[in-house]
Amino acid sequence: MKSFEFYEPTTLAEASRLFAEEHAQLLAGGTDIIIGMKALTETPETVISLQKIPGLTGITTDSDSINIGAMTKVREVELSADIQQHHTALAEGAAEIGSIQIRNLATIGGNIAHASPAADTVAGLLVADAQVDIASADGERSVPIDKLFTGPGQTVLTPGEIITRFRLPSPASCSHYIKHKLREVMDLAFIGRAAAVILDNGTITDARIGLAAVAPTPIRAVEAEDLLNGNAPTAELLEQAGEAAAAGCSPISDLRCSAEHRREMVDVLTRRTLQYALERASA
Amino acid sequence: MSEYTVVGQTVARVDAVEKVTGAAQYGADVHPPGMLYGKIVRSKHAHANIRSIDTSEAEKLPGVRAIITQDDVPSGRRVFATDKVLYLGEPLAAVAATDPDIAEEAAERIKIDYEVLPVVQDVMEAIKPSAPRLHGDDTKDGPSRREISGQIRTLSRDKENDHSDEISKLEAELENYPDEVYYNISAESHTEAGDVEKGFAASDVVVEDTYVIPRVHQTYMEPHVSVASADSSGKVTVWASTQGPFAIRSGIAGTLGIPLTQINVIGTTMGGGFGGRFGVIITHVPAVLLSQKTGRPVRVQMTREEEFTDGRPAPGCVIKLKTGATNDGRILAREALAFWDSGSVSGASIGSTIRVRGVYKIPNLKVDAYGVHTNKSGTAAYRAPGAPQAIFAGESQLDEIAERIGMDPVKFRLMNMREEGDEVPAGGSEPKVGYKETLEAVADAAGWWDREAGENQGWGVAVGDWTNGCGPGGVYVSVHEDGSVRIFHGSMDITGTDTAISQIIAEILTVPYESVTIRRGDTDSAPYSTGSGGSVVTFTMGNTAKLAAEDAHRRILELASERLNTNVDNLELKDGAVHVISAEPPKSISLGELAAYSLSTTGGPIVGKGSFARQASTPALAAQIAKVEVDPGTGRTRVLKLVASQDVGFAINPMAVEGQIEGGTVQGYAWAMMEEMQYGEEGNINPGFVDYRVPTSADLPTVESVIVEVPAPNGPYGAKGVGEPPITPTLATMANAVKDAIGIRITELPIKPEKVVDALKSNGH
Repeated sequence: MKSFEFYEPTTLAEASRLFAEEHAQLLAGGTDIIIGMKALTETPETVISLQKIPGLTGITTDSDSINIGAMTKVREVELSADIQQHHTALAEGAAEIGSIQIRNLATIGGNIAHASPAADTVAGLLVADAQVDIASADGERSVPIDKLFTGPGQTVLTPGEIITRFRLPSPASCSHYIKHKLREVMDLAFIGRAAAVILDNGTITDARIGLAAVAPTPIRAVEAEDLLNGNAPTAELLEQAGEAAAAGCSPISDLRCSAEHRREMVDVLTRRTLQYALERASA
Repeated sequence: MSEYTVVGQTVARVDAVEKVTGAAQYGADVHPPGMLYGKIVRSKHAHANIRSIDTSEAEKLPGVRAIITQDDVPSGRRVFATDKVLYLGEPLAAVAATDPDIAEEAAERIKIDYEVLPVVQDVMEAIKPSAPRLHGDDTKDGPSRREISGQIRTLSRDKENDHSDEISKLEAELENYPDEVYYNISAESHTEAGDVEKGFAASDVVVEDTYVIPRVHQTYMEPHVSVASADSSGKVTVWASTQGPFAIRSGIAGTLGIPLTQINVIGTTMGGGFGGRFGVIITHVPAVLLSQKTGRPVRVQMTREEEFTDGRPAPGCVIKLKTGATNDGRILAREALAFWDSGSVSGASIGSTIRVRGVYKIPNLKVDAYGVHTNKSGTAAYRAPGAPQAIFAGESQLDEIAERIGMDPVKFRLMNMREEGDEVPAGGSEPKVGYKETLEAVADAAGWWDREAGENQGWGVAVGDWTNGCGPGGVYVSVHEDGSVRIFHGSMDITGTDTAISQIIAEILTVPYESVTIRRGDTDSAPYSTGSGGSVVTFTMGNTAKLAAEDAHRRILELASERLNTNVDNLELKDGAVHVISAEPPKSISLGELAAYSLSTTGGPIVGKGSFARQASTPALAAQIAKVEVDPGTGRTRVLKLVASQDVGFAINPMAVEGQIEGGTVQGYAWAMMEEMQYGEEGNINPGFVDYRVPTSADLPTVESVIVEVPAPNGPYGAKGVGEPPITPTLATMANAVKDAIGIRITELPIKPEKVVDALKSNGH
């Protein structure tokens, strides 16, 4: 590890000012960045811990949304009764990250800000239509989660901007997350995918499909969603949605598996996640 | 086995408390005052000529104490590459510095000028004439050419007669086999028994297939580490995480020209070995060199990434296998042609290709094996070196034959298994081994005979054989005045061997297991001991311990005879005391009293000595059955049941034996289903546990182990080495179960989801 300056600011404004400098890095749970620093793939000159800044943790509910502070531990997201009930795919995705020890350290803000296309919480946030609240020394703004990412490891965040909160609007839909992996636990997603549906009298009124690790950024399968909306869920329709989702993604081949396999799994697992989500919606 | 009170019983391991509490001293816990940190400078290319190595910028860095290269190696044995690197991560130099970060930065500052060369990493590519050559022009003829060129050589040697016509005819015949000249060959091995061509001709069914097994890492938890300290007199002390301290001592002596007994190797608690912890040059030699140069202790410790790029993993291989059998289930012939990926140096376990014969009566057998150089690190042993690979091919193909002739796979195996006295193809005659008993035991325990399989479920069976090694060892036993017993020896504890040694000595001296303690010496103090690998320790050190305890037993009776005024023939040692046989009233003297008495005798204290080197070993069999379910959509395989039986001869510590069976089986499962060192354009691309997947406890049900005991004539209490056999059949067990579930034979490991989906697709799913 290269040596660095370490700061523990107590206000967002101070953190933002420090973070706006070159070669600065935020430290949330540290489960990604510390590994990178040890491997010398990350060599920040300044590390700014967010631990001492009040107001960034916890899950709260208000009339039109469930709000998750960016510094909330992934384990807390996984175990939250509200998240489990209203945003099941997010809780299921959180439960897929690393081990319990890792989830007790890792934060949801870190998982998202790291902008890995394979992040396990991102598909759940996508199908929840989450809003990402961002703060900097210059003020605050909010972007929809599907507009946050610009490439692998890249976001729309400008120097000094810090994610503070995720807002998950109500009414919630019924959702489900499936991770395609080789090992039962503690594995990275070959692909990750979530589906959420709102059913009204047997008709899908709002379908949302979130895909991770099948494109340079996490994406929504818009074509598949359009196919589903306004229709009754039949086996044939789900099959078409699976095919549309597969056609709409742009996976890569890497050491984990081929692009072709990822595309096929998008098809298979879109159908399965939709099926599970629909079962939850009709229950 | 009720005749014994300590052996054959499950007891807590002697090292349980120190391991559970964290008190055990591993290599990286050693930190002598003034210690420096070593770092190996590694090649950034898989194949390149080295134009120059410039250390000047690194030398300027404050805190750097020494930089060494091959020029510092007196014997000239290749420790560092000089003019050419052969794999990504090959050592070029080493640095010692006052701080690990400085050492790392210094290593980065060393400028290497490379002339990059074409790379070859696939064995089947490496044997082609177009492949880049790693070492000059190592070519070999294949089996057919070999035969013809052998004839040509014989004829040419006959100077009395003119054979030129015959020779030119044979030379013309060589033209028929142009593909049989193999390049980049590091070693070859050929075995033949009977006539395979005749065997295939007489067969009703002949199956031929090519099996591909990947290179895998032993993935011991503790990476290689060495701390060396050379003092001003030239004496060298090395704290080494190794399976064989005495082998490390001679390795360092030979490489660095240091007198053997000027080196003391202290074996630290081992964080796993599995055969991969015998290497001398990986960390030990650089640490000694750096310490000699700086006059300070130096630690050289590998990172996990370095373990993958410059460890010595198990070789992958490609095996072309052909088997012929009759419709009534007799195997008539088997022929194997194997190419083992030995990496940059020779040393892959190519001789293990013979394991394709299994434990079956195969009258006609032919095995041709080649070691092939590729741009990868060299290989080393991994739990029954070479056997899992060969047995994967052999046992996979056996199931294909069984299917073609419509015979139950277990019955087919039972029918062909050798029995006591049968000829072993290309190797003597069969001793008494529980082959059938072991296979029947696993079939019964798994419920094979009335097995049921739901949709996408399948059952697989396979067996694997292995014979434990043997080597020299020495043990001292002393009895103290409080009646306690102390053992002293020099072999490294591996998976409970110190416990087994303690049990054997407690049994013979009739004392409770708890009153025996065991101490390990370093190479300065302990008698020579063979390395702890090859399933040798319980066999070798068990026999040695037995001799030492028997020696002490003699002295004890001798002392008792003096004290009790009776001939030793009237005495017996029982429950920690010597008793006069059938004395009324009972007459006895305790071990403690005898030990106290011994201190004032002419013969002196009770010290038993055991020394042992060789006895014939007996083969062991492992038989396994798996039930799996395959998800046809995603290709993922879930194990529903995994049962493993093993003929262990005699289980000295049943729980430790079960632990070995479970551990070996899980490693075999991992090799079958997920482990694989992957290589890209420039070397290993998954050097870490993120993308080199080992299973967790969530991936498998509890392995059900079944102990079978058919005693080995020369083993202590009939015990055989138990560590290696259980990994040997699992690769095939899994492949056979997947085949049963999806109807498709996967011949290339690991059986990853993508491979299953692709196989199903090509089969019209």
